Order: sequence, then structure tokens, then C-alpha cells
Amino acid sequence: MKDPRDIIHRPVITEQSTELMEQGKYVFEVDVRANKVEIKQAIEKIFDGVKVEKVNTMRVPGKQKRYGRFTGRTPERKKAIVKLAPDSKPIEIFEA
Amino acid sequence: MKASFEKTEKNVGILTVETDVEAVNKALDQAFKKVVKKVSVPGFRKGKVPRFIFEQRFGVEALYEDALEILLPEAYEAAIKETGIEPVDRPEIDIEQLEKGKSLIFKAKVTVKPEVKLGEYKGLEVEVPEDDFKVTEENVEAELTKMQKQQGQLEVVEDGAVENGDRVIIDFEGFMDGEAFEGGKAEKYTLEVGSGTFIPGFEEQLLGMKAGEEKEIQVTFPEEYHAENLAGKPATFKVKLHEIKRLNLPELDDEFAQDVSEFDTLDELKADIEKKLQDRADTERKNYIRNQLVEQAAEKAEIDIPPVMIEREVDHMLQQFEQQLRYQGLDLKMYLEFTGQEEEKIREQFKADAEKKVRADLVLEAIAKAENIEVTDEEVEQEINQLAEQMERDVEEIRRWLGEGGVERIKEQLITKKTIDLLVLSSKNAA
Repeated sequence: MKDPRDIIHRPVITEQSTELMEQGKYVFEVDVRANKVEIKQAIEKIFDGVKVEKVNTMRVPGKQKRYGRFTGRTPERKKAIVKLAPDSKPIEIFEA
Repeated sequence: MKASFEKTEKNVGILTVETDVEAVNKALDQAFKKVVKKVSVPGFRKGKVPRFIFEQRFGVEALYEDALEILLPEAYEAAIKETGIEPVDRPEIDIEQLEKGKSLIFKAKVTVKPEVKLGEYKGLEVEVPEDDFKVTEENVEAELTKMQKQQGQLEVVEDGAVENGDRVIIDFEGFMDGEAFEGGKAEKYTLEVGSGTFIPGFEEQLLGMKAGEEKEIQVTFPEEYHAENLAGKPATFKVKLHEIKRLNLPELDDEFAQDVSEFDTLDELKADIEKKLQDRADTERKNYIRNQLVEQAAEKAEIDIPPVMIEREVDHMLQQFEQQLRYQGLDLKMYLEFTGQEEEKIREQFKADAEKKVRADLVLEAIAKAENIEVTDEEVEQEINQLAEQMERDVEEIRRWLGEGGVERIKEQLITKKTIDLLVLSSKNAA
């Protein structure tokens, strides 16, 4: 099996995501190829005692960028909103 | 909150303060509210960063400085009240402990008001140089002459020669070695003969001239004349005298008295002048006694004045001095340049006076305390009313202008006044 840290890239810390934390929802940036089941398993593996109730995902398309006459794209990303079960421990994020 | 004060030296002590945990947390909250508006964290709009994100990124320590700024003055004030000490200078503060969820502990090294050991202050005696406060016939005469001069009128002297004290209108042009020099020429210049406005010899040679007359005057510029090219050299001035004006003094008689005052006769006027002078001398005499008594009481007391108090007073005096200078359109820097003095030297000069003043203030305060001298609100009220009357303003307006601090100051002044009254009453000069 893939390493769970390859699936979960980093937490998304923004105004909106911190607001969601109050509802037990945490936002992560995940591997674009990962599916909901994999994300759920990865989260439960990385954080001890955490039980995931459900996972919502969304894809964030990359943006068109130009550098002089070359056009390119920033990479596409996938975000996952992980909702924890009511009896789960909260996730403590210590990362900038 | 806990506070304790321990003396280490005569007038210096260490104030140890421990605040409540709650106060620290409150201060941290306030500090966060202030700081949060200024930090920007990616993902958040300015001022919207949640507390825990902030603490993760910057640490709680980042808030300590601002929290201290909020907490310290409050805690220090409260500690002073609790221990009842009277600091005279800013404290040196040493923070012992400051952490989230713990109390703040700090030590402050403060200089406090010295204890005053009063010497004798009742039954003092001042030797008054009575002669200085006596009104003599001469004083009255001098005053009269002054009034006479004020009343005098300038009159053109048609034919007659210049005398000392006359005002003459002249044209003049100065030559040196036959050539005119700069600044040596003027027309229709009014000069008071004998006033010493011009270089020596010039005014004297005008004496005896008549209106319309022209004359050449030989003078030598003094050695220390400000224009170097002229100093010490002989010069010739061509002078034309246009007009002579003389101060016509009115006769000192009853009519004069009626003109300058509401009195009918000269004798009455004289009596009035004498009375006014006497009044002034009496007030001066009274003030002299008061000052001397305070000085004596101050000298008899034993105080160890902390140097900072004197320094503060010197600062204050220097400020006042600067303000005076400003009325004359100068500032301290210019003054120092003019007189070639340094600020240090001036401070040194002020020091003796400053010490005297601090000493006197401390002693008066101590006496007031020892004698339980107090001022009632009514007395303060009365003083304010008087002040309002003097300045011809509304009592309310004065009150607003004074503010809280001003009223407090009036109270202090009244206490000081009463204290000095007591000194005078109990002294041998009471009668």
C-alpha cells in the first residue's frame, strides 16, 4: 500500500478552513489521484484515534501562467474536506 | 494582587509585585487584539487571524511585550497605592516572570520621597532689615518725578541752544579721510542728547547748537567699536540740526495733582503715593519674612534628598527658563551659543536653587502632615471663585480650564499657604 503521507500532502489553513474546524471538518490538499476511501484510511493512519465520518473532495484546476512568450499551467490540485465522527479525537495540526 | 516594598537604601527600595493570573490573560487578550490588526498570514485577511493560528506561527512570546505595556502601568499604580509609597522618579523595572496562564511577577527599583526629620519650626525668628522696607521722602519724590516726566510734553524750542536731555532732529553724514563710509548717513534722525546712543563725543558736541545750524563734528571711534574698519579711527561728521524739542515738565502743584489723579491737592497725592509705596513695602516685608521662615525651617530639618529629585527640579527650572527665552524670541540653543555656555554649566548653576526648593517643599509638606493641616472643599471653592473674579471669567469656565489636576494643585497651594501662615503665626515675628 502507498504511504499515507503520499496521499495527504498538507493541511489547508485559511479563514474558511479554520471556520470549518468548529464543525469537525478539516481541509487537506491531497494527491490528485487519491479517492475518498484512500483519503479516509490515510487520515486515520496518520492521526491517532481519529475516526472519519465522511470525505468530500474537489478538484482545483491549475491556472494559466505566462512567462514571456511561453504559456504554462500551475499544477492541478485536489482538496478534501474530511468530516470526523462525533466520537473522534480532534486533529491537531502543527504545521505552518 | 500582591505587592510588598522593601527598603534597600535610604530612599531607595525594591517593590515586588505579583499580579493575578487573570490580569495577565486579560492583558494578553488585549495585546492580541492590538497586534492581530498588523500581522498578515497567508490564507487570512488582515486582522482575521484566529488566536491559535497566531500563537502557532509566532509563539505567545510575541504578545508579551505588548501585554506588558498594558499590564505594567496598571499593576505599578495599584502596587503603589497598596504599599502607600511615594515614588519620585520612574522605576527601574525587572520582570521576573511572565507566562501565559501564570501570574506576572516583577521587581521595581524605586526612589521614594525621603523621610523628613523636622527640626524646630515654631518660634523661629527672622531678622528683618527694616531699612529696606521703609518708605522715605526720597522714594515719594522719585515717584512724583516719574509721573512728572510722563506728563511732560515735548515742545519745539524756537530759538535757543541744545541742552542735555533735549531731543534733536538731525541729518548727518560721516566721512573718514574725506570719504563717506557706509552706515554713516541718516536724515531726520531723532536723537536724545545725553542718552549715550551715539559714539562718545558726538552728542557732547551738539550742545549749544541752534536750530538750522550746520556743523562739522570731529570724533574718534572707540577701540572696541563693532565695525572693525571704523574702530579706533577718527572721523568727521557733517551735521545739520533741524529742530530742538524739549520736554516741558509741568509744575508740581495742585493742578498737576488734579491732572494725574482724582485728588485735589498735591499733598493728598503725595500722601496717596506714600501709602501705596508703604503697602508695597509691607507686602514685600511680609514675603521676605515668609521666605526666610521657610528657609530656616528647611535648614533645621534633616533630609536626605535623593539626587533624582534635584535633577527633576533642575529639569523643571530649565524648562521654565526656556519658556522665558521663548518670549524673547530665543530658544535654549541660541542662548547657549550667545553666552558661550554649555547646558551642563547652567544645570550646575540651577542646582543650588533646585535643592533649596525641593528641600523647602519637602519640609512644608512634612510640617503640614505633622500639624494636620488640611483644606476643605469649601476653601478650594472659594479660591476658585476668587480666581474667576480676577480673570473675569465664569466659575464654570475656570473649572473646566483647570481640570482635575488644576484643582488638585490649587489644593496643594492652599495647604502650603496655610502651612506658611502657621510658621509665621508661631514665629517671633508674628506681631
